[in-house]
Amino acid sequence: MENRVVLKVENLKMHYKTKRGYVKAVDGISFELGEGESLGIVGESGCGKTSVSMTILRLLPENAEFKGGHIYFDTGNGPIDLVSLPEDEMRKYRWKGISMIFQAAMNSLNPVYKVGDQIIEAIQNHYPDVSIDDAKKKVAELFELVGLDPKRMEQYPHQYSGGMKQRAIIAMALSCDPKVIIADEPTTALDVIVQDRILKEMKKIQQKLNMAMIYISHDIAVIAEVSDKIAVMYAGKFVEFADSVTIFKKPAHPYTYGLMHAFPSVVGPKTELTTIPGEPPNLLDPPKGCRFAPRCPLATKECWEKEPEYREIEPGHWIACHHPLKVGEVVKFDEQK
Amino acid sequence: MSKSDVILKIENLRKLFPAERKLFGKVNLFVHAVDGVSYEIKRGESLALVGESGCGKTTTGKILVGLYEPTSGRVLIEGEDVTPYLIQNKKQVREYLKEMYLDKFKKGETSSTEIDQKMYELYKKLGENESAFINHFMKDRGKKMINLRKKVQMIFQDPYESLNPRMTIYDIVAEPLNIHNIGTIKEREDKVEELLASVGLTPPDSFLFRFPHELSGGQRQRVAIARALILNPTFVVADEPTSMLDVSIRTGIMKLMMKLADEYDMSYLYITHDLAVARYMANKIAVMYLGKIVEMGDIEEVLHNPLHPYTKALLDAVPVPDPEHKRGEPNIKGSVAKPINPPPRCRFYDRCPFATKECEKLPHPELKEVAPNHWVACHVVAGDVKAK
Repeated sequence: MENRVVLKVENLKMHYKTKRGYVKAVDGISFELGEGESLGIVGESGCGKTSVSMTILRLLPENAEFKGGHIYFDTGNGPIDLVSLPEDEMRKYRWKGISMIFQAAMNSLNPVYKVGDQIIEAIQNHYPDVSIDDAKKKVAELFELVGLDPKRMEQYPHQYSGGMKQRAIIAMALSCDPKVIIADEPTTALDVIVQDRILKEMKKIQQKLNMAMIYISHDIAVIAEVSDKIAVMYAGKFVEFADSVTIFKKPAHPYTYGLMHAFPSVVGPKTELTTIPGEPPNLLDPPKGCRFAPRCPLATKECWEKEPEYREIEPGHWIACHHPLKVGEVVKFDEQK
Repeated sequence: MSKSDVILKIENLRKLFPAERKLFGKVNLFVHAVDGVSYEIKRGESLALVGESGCGKTTTGKILVGLYEPTSGRVLIEGEDVTPYLIQNKKQVREYLKEMYLDKFKKGETSSTEIDQKMYELYKKLGENESAFINHFMKDRGKKMINLRKKVQMIFQDPYESLNPRMTIYDIVAEPLNIHNIGTIKEREDKVEELLASVGLTPPDSFLFRFPHELSGGQRQRVAIARALILNPTFVVADEPTSMLDVSIRTGIMKLMMKLADEYDMSYLYITHDLAVARYMANKIAVMYLGKIVEMGDIEEVLHNPLHPYTKALLDAVPVPDPEHKRGEPNIKGSVAKPINPPPRCRFYDRCPFATKECEKLPHPELKEVAPNHWVACHVVAGDVKAK
């Protein structure tokens, strides 16, 4: 099944300028996202996964410096490079083309406006010709779509529960019919039962509207549930990328392996948990060779000196590692390291 | 079984928070945060308290370390009633002692449990004098509270907020020793170094004079653990100690806590919302819903054979890190409500897919042992009510 590519990111680089030098938060990221596809980006805090989404939407703080790369977005009549657009042009695509569900969504609603009005505002901002009544109708439809009672449009955020706020935020992200939605930790602060409902809802909506989604999370279990493809990010780079079954059945990067085995299981066999020794590197001054080398039990001299190339080891399975794991290989992490 | 085999015993613990404020008149609305919780932890065991946010699990933990006062109920630590020290108001302490012991003694009920017997002996020793008995508990309450703190320590959820940013690591870890006046300065230094080494902050002397902001999240949590353990507590309340940490760091902390439990011979009350983490950290589990324990027992038994509809729904909602795994649909209605003056019926009634008409009329079900070491509070499971 070959989908039309709606978003193609090529060698994206974005660094934050600080007093002590550049923090290389996004350092050469490439991926393709097809229509109706979902990509999960999984990584630890500080690995740059949120910075990737902020760079795509160009919602960057002042100290961020764009260091190169291309973001091709298919507008319907051929792809355009978002990087080359001036800010006022970019505004046309933000929210209408690519929208976002932010981290800690419960705090991204304005407490002094009615929830419905906030979404109407978003619609009228992007489509000034739409009348209030039409916008209201649209919001009511969206509320139904995300499983909220349209009567709640007239309520304020404090009258909503956490899960309901999250649903309202999803409705807002959908308000301008985007082609791509980036969901940054959409369910992290929610309880498991609510999380389960929201994830299912999002998946259903995505399939119904045939949208492309990017899920960003630190929780590999959540990513596994919702994504067709998974990218594992470490220290500003993708270290492994494949469809989700491949990632789980035959992880080739030791970091992916470690992440997967660090998750305790609820009912499955009670296996020994893996601890990856050490901590993620400081992105001000990342290791010269492979960025995972200091924590990797398989690291050789080559790993410390030469940065591994991000390459395709089998169709659709990309990896940046000098010593990819074989299927079924067991990695022993040395905890004392 | 000797009495010290039970480290912690909680009986019918309740904590109500007022849900309204009035300048005059009586407050009538209360949030029933913890509403009649009973359990015990034996030596060498750890109990995981799980549930969704707002179910009262943290409140229970905070009562045990004296951060909240219990509204009613009894707390025994190593066979000793510590409730009089957990209650601040002296009038209430008197009322508690009267109600719990003196009234019973007058009626001649003296030996229903071990602690009652022990208290009766004390009462006799004090010449069956009520005020002497009460004064026994009123004397040196502050000191006794401090002694209690030696036995019970707490590890908090957020290592970024639980360490004083202006204190060095040495000051933070040694503070309990200062407060309890233990050891000379040299001894304290040795003890701090020993603990830093055992929580994996090596070499310890390179950490002693650093500040919390210089450490990563995982290292900070290790400092918090060292601080909790420096007094050799018999048991530690751990409130989601790993939920703020990254996955690759988290397992390290979990393993460390398990290792230390062995080394220092202590138990955890492990508060978490994550059933999978609970499974690794404890051998007993209590599932809480709106202030009540709905299911309790050996953790493997409860997770593999959940009986209460709420436990089942919780288990079905946990995402599984396997894209080919299809899990069940959580069978539960609606969402969590605040337990403000809840009706006396089963707390889970409004969300229960199996609730019958009879469930509405009956009071909240008692915990009933349905299998060895497996208690459930449900009318349907217990067979009091026919299933739909």
